Parts: sequence; structure tokens; C-alpha cells
Amino acid sequence: MLTVTLYIGFAAVIAAMAMNLYRLLAGPTAEDRVLALDTLYINAIALILLVSIQFADRIYFEAALLIAMMGFVGTIALAKYLGRGALMD
Amino acid sequence: MKLLLIVLLPLAGIVLPPVLVRAGRTASAWAAATPTALALVLLAGMAPTVFEGGVVEASWPWMPALGLNLAFFLDGFGLLFAGLILGIGLLIILYARYYLSEDDPMGRFYAMLLAFMGAMLGIVLSDNILLLVVFWELTSISSFLLIGYWRHRADARQGARMALAVTGAGGLCLLAAAILLGHVVGSYQLQAILAAGDTITASPLYLPILGLVLLGAFTKSAQVPFHFWLPHAMAAPTPVSAYLHSATMVKAGVFLIARLYPALSGTEEWFVLVTVIGLATMVFGAYGALFKDDLKGLLAYSTISHLGLITLLFGLNTQAGVIAGVFHIINHATFKASLFMSAGIIDHETGTRDIRKLGGLRHYMPVTMWLAAIAAASMAGVPLFNGFLSKEMFFTEVVVESERLGGIGWLLPVFATIGGLLSAAYSLRFVHDVFFGDETGALPRHPHEPPRYMRVPVEILILICVVVGVVPSLAISTVLATAAGGVLLQAPEPFSLALWHGFNVPLVMSVLALAGAVALYYQRDAAERWHERTFPAFTGKGCFESVLAGAIAASRRLTAWLDDGSVQRNVVLVIGTAVVMAAAGGITGGLDAGSRALTPAPLPAVAVWLMGVIATVVVALRHHDRFLALVATGVVGLLSALTFIYISAPDLALTQLSVEVVSTVLLLLALNVLPKETPHESSPGRRWRDGVLAVAGGGGIAALAYAAMTRPLDSISRYFLETSVPGGGGHNVVNVILVDFRGFDTFGEITVLGIAALCVYALIRDEAHTMASADTEARHPRMLLIGSRVMLPLLAVVTVYVFLRGHNQPGGGFIAGLIAAVAMVTQYMASGVHWTEQRLTGNYFPMIGAGLLTAGFTGLASWLFDVPFLTSTFSHVNWPVVGDFEIASAVAFDLGVFLTVVGSVVLMLSQFGKQQPPVEGR
Amino acid sequence: MTHLPILPVLIAAFAGFVLVLIAGAPLFVQRVLSVTATAAGLVTAIVAVTAVSDGSAIAYALGDWPAPYGIVLVLDRLSALMVLLTAVIAMIALLQAIQGTDRRGRLFHALYQFQLMGIYGAFLTGDIFNLFVFFEILLIASYGLLLHGHGPGRTRAAVKYVVINLVGSALFLVGVGTLYAVAGSLNIADLAGRVAEVAPADRGLLYASAFLLVTVFAIKAALVPLSLWLPDAYAGATTPVAALFAIMTKIGVYAILRVYTVVFDAPASAAVEAIGPWLLGAALATIVIGMTGSLAAAGLRRLVAYAMLTSVGTMVVGIAVFTPASIGGGLYYLLHSTIATAGMFLLAGVLGEFRGDSGDRFEPAPRPGGWATLGLLFTALAVAVAGLPPLSGFLGKTLILQSVAGVSPTTLVWPVVLAGSLFTVVALSRAGSALFWKDEPPAGPVTAPNMAAYVPAGICVALVVAMTVFAGPISGYTKATAGDLLHGPGAYTQAVMDAGRQTSPGHHDEGA
Repeated sequence: MLTVTLYIGFAAVIAAMAMNLYRLLAGPTAEDRVLALDTLYINAIALILLVSIQFADRIYFEAALLIAMMGFVGTIALAKYLGRGALMD
Repeated sequence: MKLLLIVLLPLAGIVLPPVLVRAGRTASAWAAATPTALALVLLAGMAPTVFEGGVVEASWPWMPALGLNLAFFLDGFGLLFAGLILGIGLLIILYARYYLSEDDPMGRFYAMLLAFMGAMLGIVLSDNILLLVVFWELTSISSFLLIGYWRHRADARQGARMALAVTGAGGLCLLAAAILLGHVVGSYQLQAILAAGDTITASPLYLPILGLVLLGAFTKSAQVPFHFWLPHAMAAPTPVSAYLHSATMVKAGVFLIARLYPALSGTEEWFVLVTVIGLATMVFGAYGALFKDDLKGLLAYSTISHLGLITLLFGLNTQAGVIAGVFHIINHATFKASLFMSAGIIDHETGTRDIRKLGGLRHYMPVTMWLAAIAAASMAGVPLFNGFLSKEMFFTEVVVESERLGGIGWLLPVFATIGGLLSAAYSLRFVHDVFFGDETGALPRHPHEPPRYMRVPVEILILICVVVGVVPSLAISTVLATAAGGVLLQAPEPFSLALWHGFNVPLVMSVLALAGAVALYYQRDAAERWHERTFPAFTGKGCFESVLAGAIAASRRLTAWLDDGSVQRNVVLVIGTAVVMAAAGGITGGLDAGSRALTPAPLPAVAVWLMGVIATVVVALRHHDRFLALVATGVVGLLSALTFIYISAPDLALTQLSVEVVSTVLLLLALNVLPKETPHESSPGRRWRDGVLAVAGGGGIAALAYAAMTRPLDSISRYFLETSVPGGGGHNVVNVILVDFRGFDTFGEITVLGIAALCVYALIRDEAHTMASADTEARHPRMLLIGSRVMLPLLAVVTVYVFLRGHNQPGGGFIAGLIAAVAMVTQYMASGVHWTEQRLTGNYFPMIGAGLLTAGFTGLASWLFDVPFLTSTFSHVNWPVVGDFEIASAVAFDLGVFLTVVGSVVLMLSQFGKQQPPVEGR
Repeated sequence: MTHLPILPVLIAAFAGFVLVLIAGAPLFVQRVLSVTATAAGLVTAIVAVTAVSDGSAIAYALGDWPAPYGIVLVLDRLSALMVLLTAVIAMIALLQAIQGTDRRGRLFHALYQFQLMGIYGAFLTGDIFNLFVFFEILLIASYGLLLHGHGPGRTRAAVKYVVINLVGSALFLVGVGTLYAVAGSLNIADLAGRVAEVAPADRGLLYASAFLLVTVFAIKAALVPLSLWLPDAYAGATTPVAALFAIMTKIGVYAILRVYTVVFDAPASAAVEAIGPWLLGAALATIVIGMTGSLAAAGLRRLVAYAMLTSVGTMVVGIAVFTPASIGGGLYYLLHSTIATAGMFLLAGVLGEFRGDSGDRFEPAPRPGGWATLGLLFTALAVAVAGLPPLSGFLGKTLILQSVAGVSPTTLVWPVVLAGSLFTVVALSRAGSALFWKDEPPAGPVTAPNMAAYVPAGICVALVVAMTVFAGPISGYTKATAGDLLHGPGAYTQAVMDAGRQTSPGHHDEGA
């Protein structure tokens, strides 16, 4: 039962990542790309959790945590760049 | 010991003249003369031993690994040459005292002269062939300095450089020959080499050795075709020309030929090479001398010619030839040096050396005229002077040789006679044009006799010319026999030095030469016109200069082509070479896949990797849009982290993720001050080249990785896995390796990080930051402001958590440091530089330094327990509430890592951040 | 137990750390600290050389972990010699730097000490990944030192240098990784044993990693075709930095020597036979490029940078043949050429300062003060750099020529090496003529350099003369060093295997 769920989960997340990647590469504006990247980060978190469930191992949860925090900061930086150009003023 | 002193005295005396010149020019001259005289006295003391047939030897080790020893020996030939060098040297020192003008630095002159003298003595007294090469090149160097003495004259500079290039090249050839000789004979000792003549001539290396030795000798002695530097060396002061370029240095080449005569001569090759070149040089030099208008130029070509004559004599492979050659060495030194000094006197007193301007000087300097006339007569081969005797012997030998040769051998005496004719003609010209005839009135100065002591050296030499010419057996036969014995390695058979040998062919040749010379001289205007019509102005110097200029131009083109400053070309070369070399290595050894079975790849993983590949290709193809490239790079980083998770490397994944964000921020900071678009500048050809190289490189690494991973490996990692808990006190092997097993690597890497921060700072410096006026909503969006300030304590907790659990769970100082750095950078981004630095700090150097020192002192602490640097220890601790846990001293090291990382990263990013030009919107 | 092997590294490291901590301190304090640390390093180096002069080796196991699992530093004749050379050059260059160059930025001394830390560590380490780490330290410190003093020309040259070395570092990692994948260890002495046991099927991978490592070291040693970064970088650096960089190329040469003689067991093994011709070809090409570049140079510093290429080529000729005589000659020549080129860089710096706008370019300029002394120093250093007798350059070159005879294609090698000498002589004589003979009368009052400015170059001349006079003992030492390296596992491997505790450490319990 869990195996089937996992397969469906993986399929969904991978599909989501692919679509995000498409949007990131296609654009057309820079803001689109940033949003796509941010969503990609969230997909990655989901992927990691699914992997953890599959291997029944808690060791990767910190990685998910870190992606969440770091992804946020990365998006801030990109957004500030697009908005004002100067990141630290 | 005394032998060494003879060489050392002039060398040690180098410092005296420059110092004593302050006490006056005469004092300086005495300072130069004293070591020379002392050396001469020492030499004279050893002369009796040598005259009895003995050889004085002395040797000290210098460099056994090379076979080079400070070894000297004195035989008859060396005695002769050393006597020439020291004796004429003394006369030159006296002469130069009066020749050099007030403006010429005399101390420097004498110092260089003494240096040369010592080097020349080294050549003639050396018993080790490598030592001979050392002194050989030293004479080249000192000659260079002496020719360039009047450095403000362009012809002196050029002449010096040309002489150095030609004689230097010859010296290198001689070095090669010396090593080969040592190889063949088995020793570098000269006496051993001389005794091994049969071995050498029979060896397959004989011809290369002979060729190289002759190259060295011919360049030094200005034989055709290497003669062209000597006339241009005449730009040196006359004492130098008289000493180096007639009596001693140029004789070094014939000295070498004579010295190595026992070792190399006796073969047909020797005969052909040496005799032909000698003959050609003799005739060519004499011909050239005839039409020169410069007194010293005439004498220079004359020197070339006479050296050719001497060379020819040694090439004949006969004992009588050797004796004649040695005799002419002595005679040539005396008359040529005195002629040069006379030319110098004329120059000094009249202000010009141009023959066309000179004339009728006999009225003003009668004594000088007589001296010059005698010397010139000797040079021409007039009887009763020493030159006649050696020329007679020369003609005799040539006739004997032509009879031996048969066939076209009759050419030899013919050319010899022509040479003699020309020689007499230019000698006549020297005397007649300068001292007789009409005055031209074009002289810069009013001529008169020179100072008394300036003429004395000439007088002494002329005396020798006359005495040897009139009573040769009495004067010189012992010396000659001993010297020739040194060359031949045995006492020579008795020979006759009589003036009159009866009516024979040589006498006829002499008479013909003298008569023909007089005839030629009176037809000289016609001869000169014919000469100018027939021979184009083709000079050796022109040839040399054009070769040199060609070499320089070619070098410049090559260097410019290679080194166009392009970074791409350098990288292409590096990567290309790496690909070629790795492939070469793989092919040499035979590369194939290993034996391990491949594990299946699950579909999600493949999908993720495929996405990574697509993103990478986009970065490569669409790099002109830099923002897209940056975002795509972020994707690649994320997917790499996911890969690390897939292959069970959580620490690597954490590190990758943290570094990813820091890199993104850094790139954005940089992008802001760079153009937004890369210009399209590469040609399609170049892009293909780069593409092929990139595929080759990436493919190569992939092949290596595949080959490596499919092989089972028995490595040191097993030890780490086993010892991590019992030895290191931690369950996280990766962290234990980082801070304990291989903590020294981490120590180095945090130093690298610290240095990187220093470099960024050094490049950018603390630029003053201009403050915008108001804290507007657009600059610091409120949402971000508040969100970031709330995040800070949360991130701090996470930092501490990750730091402390690092030793047993994924985490550690480096990751914690990056998280903390990101937290601080967020504050910079959200609230601005000014606000943040008021509350945190603007100067991160103390933090970096403290971190590095903490790590360092943790390492040093182990010294207290007499164990090596960075040895760790750990123990169990039980705290209430927290429970039982192990704590290792590596935690302190990790703290150092943490502090360094935080300080470095924030310093780098904040320095970049301060570069941002404040803008209002985009 | 003795901490001697790690002392040079730690002295420089801690000096650097403190200098970072007090980064804003007055220049005088920084100078004192820096000079003291460098002098202490020099003393340590002399002690080290005497300690191993009998052929023994001292290994130091960091963290007290047994080899091959931990990192070891090894002090044997070769590494002690290189450390001493570095310490001497560092001291001389620092004496030059404290005369004013270090004023141009507040971080010079920290970077200088870190540079020394990296160089000492690279020479002393016995672990190939640790070698990579120290390469990184010395590279990044060198980036900082190169950029020190600013100027657009300098930055451009530095960028080229930085990029090439970054690529080189990446390739180094690939090479080390591949070697580890085949042999399973990172310890140089241990690798020797493991490499010898590699199965024939794995040879391809082994050779690929060996050749790749040589390529990386060749980048550092500036062998053609990887040498294009050197002229710009060295000609553009400030004077004391350029003098210190004279030792940097020798690190590449050392790495080739150490890795190939220990790991790949020269001269017997097939890997060495395979790489020998490549090395020889590269060395000869380097001599050609160096000699033509010297002739084409328009300024003294660029000329010396190309002369350095020629000298690297000459010494690698000696090494590529892999006999005790040739490597001994190559090492002797290495010592000589480092000191001679450093001295010439220092002289070029002094000359450039006092010739006004013309700097060190070969154009007429007003005669500087102190002309006679400068001329004398130049003559001595030119003789040294060109390898003319009687100085040690000639002796070293002759050693190499002798050792090559009969062992490798003599008809190819000898002409190239001798031609290299000739070109350098011609180039230097033109340089000397242009700089010292073709000058104009001084425009106004001349300021002579004060005595201290001559000292660094003068010390180099004195050292070259000392190398000439003591050529016998020194060449004997280098030949013995070469013999150690080539004659199989010896004191080096033995010392490494004995280092570190033999049993797992215990730990003591504490707490309640």
C-alpha cells in the first residue's frame, strides 16, 4: 500500500519539478524564473521527505529544514536584485 | 701554491686600483703593476725547473661531482704564454697610464684589465679542461667590459655585444667538447687528455670533438668566418686593443689549438680543417687590411691574417710547423703590440686615426717613426727583424708540405706568397702614408712626441724585435725549444734559427713578396678602385646584425603570438593538455571498465538527473542572459544536493545547500556591477573548438569516474569506519574525518577561507558608503524587515543545534557557520548596511583571527601532553536533564572552524554589498 | 618527541593568524611580527637541515593517527633543503618589502606569512591530499599578494593567473580522486607500496591519474604549454612578491620529483618510463620559449621572467632523465636559479624605482644615483642568471649536461640547453648595455638609493658566490639526496610507517 502511494507521490513531485523547470527556462520575465526556482525548492523538500519515508530514515529531515530556510533567503536575494538592484543598502 | 698565486695575484689585485685611484692616477697604475710584477717574479722563479724539462703541478679539489678541480700545471708552453701575458701586461699598464685621458675612470680600467689578466693566466696554466672553459668565458666577459669601456660610444657598445655573442657561443661549443673529451678519456685532467691522443683520434666522437674545439678556437681567434667581431672591438681604448686583441686574448684560440695538438692532431681531418681555414684567414685578412683607412682597423685585419698564419702552421701536422707556429706567436706579440701602441701614440698626439688625414709625421715624431718602421718591417718580413725569421720558417714549411701533398699542393706556396705580399704592402702603407708624404693639414691637434714613459713600452718591444732578429739562437732558441716541447710533449729535434739558409725557394718567395708589395703599393690607387668595383659592401658585421635582428624579430613574433593575454587561450591549453595527457596515460596502460556489477537506477533519480543535465546545457547555451544562467545554476546546485541525499551523504547535501545560497547572493552582488548581457564575440569556429574540448574533458572525467567506480576498492576508509567511535568519539564518520582524522586538512582549508576574505578585502577595500537620505519603504520592505528580524533568533538556534550535534549526526562547524553567515547576511539585505553594522560589527578581522587562533590553539594544546599537533581526546559526560553524551576536544576545533567561516563569509559578502551603487528602482 | 617537521608551518601560520587578528595595527608592529616569524622560520630550517643531513628522515603524524590513516609530515634531505631555500628567499624578499612596498595595503604581512605557510607545508607534507590543501593555501595567498598594490595591468595579469590555477586545482582533485580509486590511500609512502601491487587491468586508470597529476604540477612549474601565465604574472608583481615567487615554480618541480620517485618508484617502473619522454619534450620546449622570450623582452623584469622559464626547463631536463647524477645536478641548479632570479628581480625593482618614468624598460633614462654599485650587482647577477662561468649556474648546467650524455638523446638536448644559455647571454648583454651604458646625463640632482636598498640583491649575490665556492659539499649533498630518492623505499618510507600510535587510543571516563 505504502509503495503504491510512494510511487504516485514521486510521480507527482517529479512532474511538478519538470513543470517548474520548464517555466524557469522559458520565462519570459525574470520574475517568472524566480518564482519557478522558489517552487522548485519546495518540490525538493517534498522529494526529500518522500525519500525519507521510503528508506524509513530520519536523517535527511535537517536537509529539508535547511532547504526551506536557505530557499527563502535565496529568493529574497533574487527578489531584491530584481527590485532595486542593490542587495544591501 | 705558487702556481695558484700567479693566477690569483691579478685577480686579488682587482680591488686595489679603484681604491687607490683616489691617491692619484700614478698610484693606481702602481697598484695594478705590483701584483703583475709579483706574479712575473714568481713565474721566473719556476722557470729553471721548466727549462730542465720538468713540469710544475698544483691541484686542489673544488667540485668532485663534476670532475672540476682547481688544477694548474706549468710546462714550457704555459711558461711562454704566461710570460707573454705578464710581461706585455706590465708594459700595457705603463702605457695606459699615459694614454687614458683625465675623464676616463682609471681605477675601473685597471680593475677590469687585471681581471682579464687573471682569467687569461688561468687559461694557460689550467690543468683541468673544465677549469679552462671557466677561465675562457671569464676572458669573454672581461673583454666585453673592456670593449665597452667608452660606453657613451655606440660603436663600442655594439662591438662589445658582438664580441660577447661570438666568443660566448664559441665558449659553449668548447664546453660541449670538454664534456665529450672527459667522456672519451675518462678524466678531465688536461695532462691525461694530452696523453690519450690515440684514444681520442680513434674514438667515434673524434669528429664532433674536433669540430667543437675548433669552433671555440676559431671564434676566439677571429678566424674566417668568425672574424668580423675583431675589427669592431677596435672601439676599445688602444691599450685594450694592444693587449687583448693582438697579444693575448685572441691568441687564446691558437693557444688551445696548440695545447690540444697532442690530443687531436695527426689526422687528415685536422689537416684539412685547420690548414684550410688558416690559409683562407691569412689571405683574407691581409687583403682586408690593405684598404682600411683606420690605423687600428688595418692592424686588426693584420692580426686576423697573422693568426691565420699561425693556425695554418699548426695544421700542418709537422714538428717544424709547430716550432714555426710557436716562434711566430712570440714574434707577432712583440711587433703587433708595439704597432698598436704606436697607433695609439699617433691617435693620442694628433687626434685622429684616419690614414687619409695623416702624413709627414716624421718631422714631428721622429723616434716614434723609427720604432713604428722597425715594427712594420718585422711584420712585413724584412730581414734582420724577428718577423723575417718566422716568415722564412713559414715559407719553408709550406714548400715542404706542398711537396708532400703533390697534386694541387703547389697552390699552398702561391697563396702563402700572396699573403706575404699583401702583408708587406699594408705594412708599407702604414709607415709611408703616416710618416712620409705630404701633410694634409687636417689634424685636430698639433703633433709632437708623446710623454717619455708612453714610448718606453714600445721601445722595449722593438728592442726585442731587433735582438731576436739579429741573434736569434742566442736570444730565443732555448725558450722556443722548451715551449715547442710543451706542445709536442717531447723535446723537439734540433732546428736552425740562422738568418741565412742559402738560396732556396722560401728566400725567393720572400723576395717576391717584398718586391711585389712595393709594386702594389705604388699602384694602390688603381688597386683601390678595382677593389671597390669588384666587391660589394658586404660586411661580417652587417651579416651578424641582420641575423641578430632577425632572431629578435622572430622571437617577438613568437612571443606575441603565444602570449596575447587571452584567458581563453590559456584555459584551452590547460584543459587540452590535461585531456591529452590523461588519454595518453589511459591508452598506455589500457583503460577498460571494471568488474563490479552496476546497481539499478530508479526512475525518479533518472528524471532528476535529466533535469540537471538540461539545466546545465541551458547555462552553457544561453549564458548571454546572465540572470537566466544564474538561476539555472541554482537549479543545478539544488539537484546536486538531492543527488547527495540519494547516495546517502547528508553532510555533503547540507553543505551544498548552504554554499548554494551564499554563492547565489555573491553572484547577484557581482552581477549588479557587471553588464547584464555577455557580448556575442566568439566565432563559430571557436565555439566548435570549445565545444569539442568541453565534451572531451567532461567525457574524459566521466570515463575515469566510470572506470573507477566499477572497480572494487580496498582502501583506508575501512579504518575510519571502524575507529570513528572508539578512536574519535563520534558517530558521524564524515565529521570525525574532517575534524579529527584529517583535521590538519580542515585547518588548512579554513586558512584558505580566511585568506580569501583577506584577498576580497585587499581588492575592494573599505569603500566609504554613501548614505541615501531616507529609510524608504522601497529600500527596506517592511515585510522583509520584520520577517528577517524574527528569523534571526530561529536561525541562531538552528546554528547552535547543528553545531553541537555535528560529531554524531549530520552537521558540524562548517555548516553551522554557513547558516549563521546566511542569517547575518539576511540582516544586511533586509535592514541595510548601516543599521546592521551598528548592531553587529563592521570589522570581521578579529572574528576570523579568533577563529583561526582557536583552531590553532586546540592543536597546540596537545603539545602539553607530548603528542603531535591536533591530537584529540574525548570523554563521557553525564549532565542532568541532557543525559549521557560524549564530548570530544575536537569541538573546540570545530568552534574555530565556525568562527572563521562566519567571519570570512560575512566579510566577503558585506564588502561586495558596500560596492552597490544605491539606485532608485530598476 | 620532536615537533620539528611542523614548526616552520606553524610559525608562519600563527604569525598570519595574529596578523589577521590585529589587522588594523600600525605598520611597525606588523613588520616586527612578520620579520620575527620569518627569522624564526629560517632558524628552524637550518636546524632541520642539520638534523637530517645524515640521510635519516623524521615523520610527524598529525593527530597521532598511525600512517597511512592520518596525515604525516616528513622531513628528509629533500624537503629540508627546499624549506631552507624558501626560508632564505623569504627573509631576503621581506627585507626588500619592509623598505616601502608593504605600505600599499594593510594586509601585506598577513598574506606573506600565509604564503610561507603554504610553501612550507607543500614541501613538508607526506600526504597527497594534504598537498592539495597546501597548494590551495599558497595559491590563494599568491592571488592576494599579486593583487596587492593595484593597477589595472596588474589585475589583468592576476586574473589570468587565478583562472589557470583554479582550473589546475580542479584537475588536481580529479587526479587525486582517480589515484585513490585505484590505490586506495592518500599517504605518499603508502601509495608506493599499493601502486606497485596494482593489477595489470587497472594500469590504465593508474597511468591516467599519474599523467594528470604531472600536468597539474607542470602548470605550477610553468612547463610549456602551460607556461603562458608566468611572464605576465611575474613581470606585473611588485618587487618582493616577484622575488618570493621565484620559489613557487620550484614547488611544481618538487612535486613531480617527490610523487614520481616515491609513489611511482622511479626509475624502475613503467609509469616513469612512459612519462619521461613527455617531460623531456616539455622541458626542451620550455627552454626554447624562455630563450626567445628573453630576447624579445622590452623590460628587465619580463626578461628575467622568461629567463626563469629557461631555468625551469633546464632543471626539468635533469629530472626527466631520472638518474642520481642528473637529479642531483637538477637540484643544485634549482638552488642556484632560485636565488639568482630572485636577486635579479630585486635588482630590477631598485633600478626601476630610481630610473624614474622609464622604470626597467630598455630605453635611455637619466642615470640613477648609485650607478656603479647597481652596475656591479647587475653584472654579477647577469653572470649568475645566464649560467656563465665561474658562478654556480655554469656548474649546475654542466652537471646536467654531463649526466644527460649517453642516457638520453644528447644531440637534441645539448644544443637546446646551450642555445638557451647563448640567447640568455645575448639578451642580458643587450639589457645591460641599454640600462647602464646608454644612459643620459642626469636631469637634476640625483638621489642615490640608500644602503639598505642594495642589501637584498647583495645578499643574493653573496649566496651565489657561496654556492660557487662550496660547490663541492653542496653538490655532494644534492647528489646524495637524489640517491635517496631513487633507490627504492628507504628512510622516508620507514619513518612514515613508524609514525603515530600503533594501538587505538583509549579514553578515560569522567563524570558521574
